[in-house]
Amino acid sequence: MKHLASTTAMAVLLAGVANAGGHLAFAPGEGDFNWDSYNSFAEQYDLSGQSLSITGPWTGQDKDLVDSVIAYFEEATGAEVEYSGSDSFESDFVIAAEAGNPPQMAVFPQPGLMADMARQGNLVALPDGTGDWLRENYAAGESWVSLGTVDDTMYGFPYKIDVKSLVWYVPEAFEEAGYEVPETLEALKELTDQIVADGGTPWCIGLGSGAATGWPATDWVEDMMLRTQPPETYDAWVANELPFDSPEVVNAIEEFGYFARNDDYVSGGAEAVASTDFRDSPGGLFEVPPQCYMHKQATFIPTFFPEGTELGLDVDFFYFPAYEGEDLGQPVLGAGTLFVRTEESDVTAAFLDFLQTPIAHELWMAQSGFLTPYTEVNPDVFPTDTQRALNEILTNATTFRFDGSDLMPGEIGAGAFWTGMVDYVTGEDAEAVGAAIQERWEAIQ
Amino acid sequence: MDNIAGRKSSLNWAVNLSVIFLVLLWIIPTVGLLVSSFRDRDQISASGWWLAPFSAEQAYRARTSTEATPEGDIFVVTGNVFEESEATGTLSAFGVRSIAPGEFTVGTVADLGDGESLSIAENGDYEFRTPEEPGRRGQRIYFTAETPPEFTLENYETVLGAGGMAQAFINTLTVTIPATIIPILIAAFAAYALAWMQFPMRGLLIALVVGLLVVPLQLALVPLLRLHTEWGIGRSFLGVWMAHTGFGLPLAIYLLRNYMVGLPRDIIESAKVDGATDFQVFTKIVLPLSFPALASFAIFQFLWTWNDLLVAKVFLPDGDQAMVMTRKIADDLLGSRGGDWGILASAAFVSIAVPLLVFFTMQRYLVRGLLAGSVK
Amino acid sequence: MAVQEDTQGASFIQGQAVIWLIGGLLLVAAIALLLPDVRGMLGNSPILQGVLTIVLGVGGCIGYFWASNIVLDKVIFPAKGANAGKNINRANMVRPWLFIFPAFAALGLYLAYPVVGSFIRSLYDRSGDTFIGFGNYAWLMQDSEFQQAVFNNILWALVVPAGSTFFGLVAAQLTDRLSWGNIAKSLIFMPMAISFVGASLIWKFVYANDADIGIVNAFREWVFGADSVDPLQVSFWNNFFLMFILIWIQTGFAMVILSAALRGIPEETVEAAIVDGASPLQVFFKIKVPQIMGTIVVVWTTITILVLKVFDIVYTMTGGNFGTQILPSYMFEFMFRDDGRATAVAFVIMLIVTPVMVWNIIQARKEMR
Repeated sequence: MKHLASTTAMAVLLAGVANAGGHLAFAPGEGDFNWDSYNSFAEQYDLSGQSLSITGPWTGQDKDLVDSVIAYFEEATGAEVEYSGSDSFESDFVIAAEAGNPPQMAVFPQPGLMADMARQGNLVALPDGTGDWLRENYAAGESWVSLGTVDDTMYGFPYKIDVKSLVWYVPEAFEEAGYEVPETLEALKELTDQIVADGGTPWCIGLGSGAATGWPATDWVEDMMLRTQPPETYDAWVANELPFDSPEVVNAIEEFGYFARNDDYVSGGAEAVASTDFRDSPGGLFEVPPQCYMHKQATFIPTFFPEGTELGLDVDFFYFPAYEGEDLGQPVLGAGTLFVRTEESDVTAAFLDFLQTPIAHELWMAQSGFLTPYTEVNPDVFPTDTQRALNEILTNATTFRFDGSDLMPGEIGAGAFWTGMVDYVTGEDAEAVGAAIQERWEAIQ
Repeated sequence: MDNIAGRKSSLNWAVNLSVIFLVLLWIIPTVGLLVSSFRDRDQISASGWWLAPFSAEQAYRARTSTEATPEGDIFVVTGNVFEESEATGTLSAFGVRSIAPGEFTVGTVADLGDGESLSIAENGDYEFRTPEEPGRRGQRIYFTAETPPEFTLENYETVLGAGGMAQAFINTLTVTIPATIIPILIAAFAAYALAWMQFPMRGLLIALVVGLLVVPLQLALVPLLRLHTEWGIGRSFLGVWMAHTGFGLPLAIYLLRNYMVGLPRDIIESAKVDGATDFQVFTKIVLPLSFPALASFAIFQFLWTWNDLLVAKVFLPDGDQAMVMTRKIADDLLGSRGGDWGILASAAFVSIAVPLLVFFTMQRYLVRGLLAGSVK
Repeated sequence: MAVQEDTQGASFIQGQAVIWLIGGLLLVAAIALLLPDVRGMLGNSPILQGVLTIVLGVGGCIGYFWASNIVLDKVIFPAKGANAGKNINRANMVRPWLFIFPAFAALGLYLAYPVVGSFIRSLYDRSGDTFIGFGNYAWLMQDSEFQQAVFNNILWALVVPAGSTFFGLVAAQLTDRLSWGNIAKSLIFMPMAISFVGASLIWKFVYANDADIGIVNAFREWVFGADSVDPLQVSFWNNFFLMFILIWIQTGFAMVILSAALRGIPEETVEAAIVDGASPLQVFFKIKVPQIMGTIVVVWTTITILVLKVFDIVYTMTGGNFGTQILPSYMFEFMFRDDGRATAVAFVIMLIVTPVMVWNIIQARKEMR
């Protein structure tokens, strides 16, 4: 196998020589990028002959994108990096760790599993000072630090953020029907009724996701939680200091039910909510005539729009608004991926250092699907206004909170909460659902 | 006599019909997937696969070009809707609101208000007149068209063209062939010993095999991986063969022993009386006579290992060098193309092609073996 | 009899030729591996590497049985000289253990050892540090989802083997005398070749809650003009819709095995019954079925065991929602998170199947006498 690996590496090297310069997505020195940060990084490190293995959840197009960023790290340091992505990255990592040969670095999409792995001793702490760096350079830095920290030690470096509080719509469909983008949650509810009165269906909601069926509903409930309760209550709920069946949480669940459990409000009727695949769900926006006018989903969803759909032209988004009457500001719900390392070495330290350069963020920003709270990056490198606007939602948030289900223990956030939401949309009582989840939570404490 | 013949033919009819019904019931789901694998994502959600061979009336969207020619104080935009969209077929109606895509008949001029008008000819040529210079976004045109049936190989190109698929194919074969043959060999010897040899604790061992049949695979994965790591095998092809062998053995021993017990006692005993050792009895008599059972178990074990995802995931290293097809499809392709039914369908067919081929070629031997087995 | 001996002799010669061929290949491969040039060349060719590993793996296995028997008969207990008779007896006492050694070594290591280890693990808590006795089991007993899963699982364990065996038997019998029987058999067997992931995909198309995608709903609309429903959300019956997927897959297995057994039935018994005026149905149920009862038990057992292990269908189709949870997919919820509870569920699964196991062991005891 070693022979095989080295010949492949040879082939890659040769291919690299054949189109020298062509393997970097942007020629160094050109464009609005912060090339100084790249150059000073390149001067600082020489890791020729060293290799770095990274595994993560990004596959397909996302893998190509992360590879394009890694190429600059390789160019700058001479190290050889192999990134491999898997759709079931979490179990793969657990297995590799059990086998005693985990990758040198990994990208965790959920902090919950990272905490488990850290407590089992599979991860190595980040270099000292990373926390201070985040506080200084990331917008709302403290919350990022706490995201990557387990038992007072920092293990995860947040990189690539998703914003969840978004509603996607087709601007022309709104124009043709004379609808305005709502600025408040009250107006959103009015618009919903208006669309029904006009004979249309306002929402496409799909919770289907195979074994993970139900997770899109958790985002809804979390967003509703932030729009009906102060952020401290949200934090208490995520930490289970506020029980799942308390009136605050039950109310948030019912706020979600206001939209999802009304046969007139959702495409296909309430029954379809639980069975429609979340990937198929936004398709209703683009049907002729439209099956729905709005779809609430995170920044990643354009991947599942029909081929050739142009962001900003064919489809656009608005911020999932807050209640005007609640005075809770503009809360934003998000999720982020975390880089961790499993060994303390020059090459992993260098890569973490690389992630702290603006260029490591700008390179991906300039392509697609990348948001960052890093304040030093140049927003001009975003290829479209849409993406710039998305990033502004992130940086303008008065309250920023992480996806609560990611922070809850796995049995709840990736189990009981999901199935509870499916039970709820298929007719069970919100209070009973909350009580069942709470019971489960108490059982694991 | 007539009566019996009449009954026979009507019975024959009934048998034929019920088999046809059963076969149809069994293949329709698969046919649905097969047809869908040749259609693109939009077609799949637009109409059922059973309608695929017929032309369908479908609604489309297009946008007028942004290049306008000034004509007096208005701007005229011309073009063809079929070029501005992916639609094909015959135009039947058009509109400017997505809730009414067939508002206007072809050939008429639609007055859109504000001095704007739109007309579309039967061949798709449109003329859009507007008092304002169009911006980045052209005017939306919706239209319905009668589309002829269309099939595409694109899904298969995507699946087969995915990087590393050829390597994954070879890796899968490397995993499955030894993982099929080794357990059968080992199990055949053990099954013979358990069926025809006298030794202490035989009953206990049979009970053990039956008991181990039910051990859930998931239970054994992680402890075994730790064991492999301790031995220095780690995650490798050797490890995956050993794992498949271990997991496949109880059923192999169980099925083969049950078959071998049923072999005619007199042949084996007379051979033993003639002075043949058990090794000779086994290789000369039992093995050839058990061919049907061996062949059928081989087919099953091959199918299981070929379709296995879990064992490969745990016991093979990550990365393309040891990626098997199920994993390539499940972890690499489906993750990035999750919502694309066409891709999923063709991926499923790519992965079952070899098992089907093996079954259809082996089946001849299977039937021959079965017939030989009945001559006793 | 003479003809039979002849063919056996021929197949023995064939068998020996195969063994020599594989031995030779092994030798060549081993020598080739020692030459660095060849290794370098192999490094470039995954196909060659694959073939080589296959030859080594399979060859090693054949080599063991062949060599160990040679050593036993020729070296340790040679059937020659003064002790010839005694040696043959001794060799025959050792031989069963030679035959079963690899199988039971593998079984012990790959199944028995994890079972014992897992049982111990199931007595510990989530972190694996604290001994809690049967605490995990007690917790399971009071969990409503677990109760549901046990109920559903018992349904599965009854319905799927019964359904598969029934359809398999019917298919085997009906296709037996048909001119296109083999084609029909192949088509019914086809789902066996499809992975569980593929099968789930196929049935998602069938059950889709959209008359434009799912054929079930299209049929309902066409025949009854009914609105589309999601079959997987029809409480209680959705379990049967999921079971049908596994029946669909496993019928091929039952059919192949049962069809072999049916052909093994002596013609005379069937002919005698027909002469006595038995109807085809009577022949089938009164003459044929009793004669292949042993095979039916084997098929039934095999499928029952499979049912209790397969989690993929429920896991990918409904994720255990809508009241369709079964134990294997319930267990999966705890895997990698709380191994104590996961292993406890596994032992409950093993408990459910104990009656079938005991029955099989009794059956095996009977055969031996």
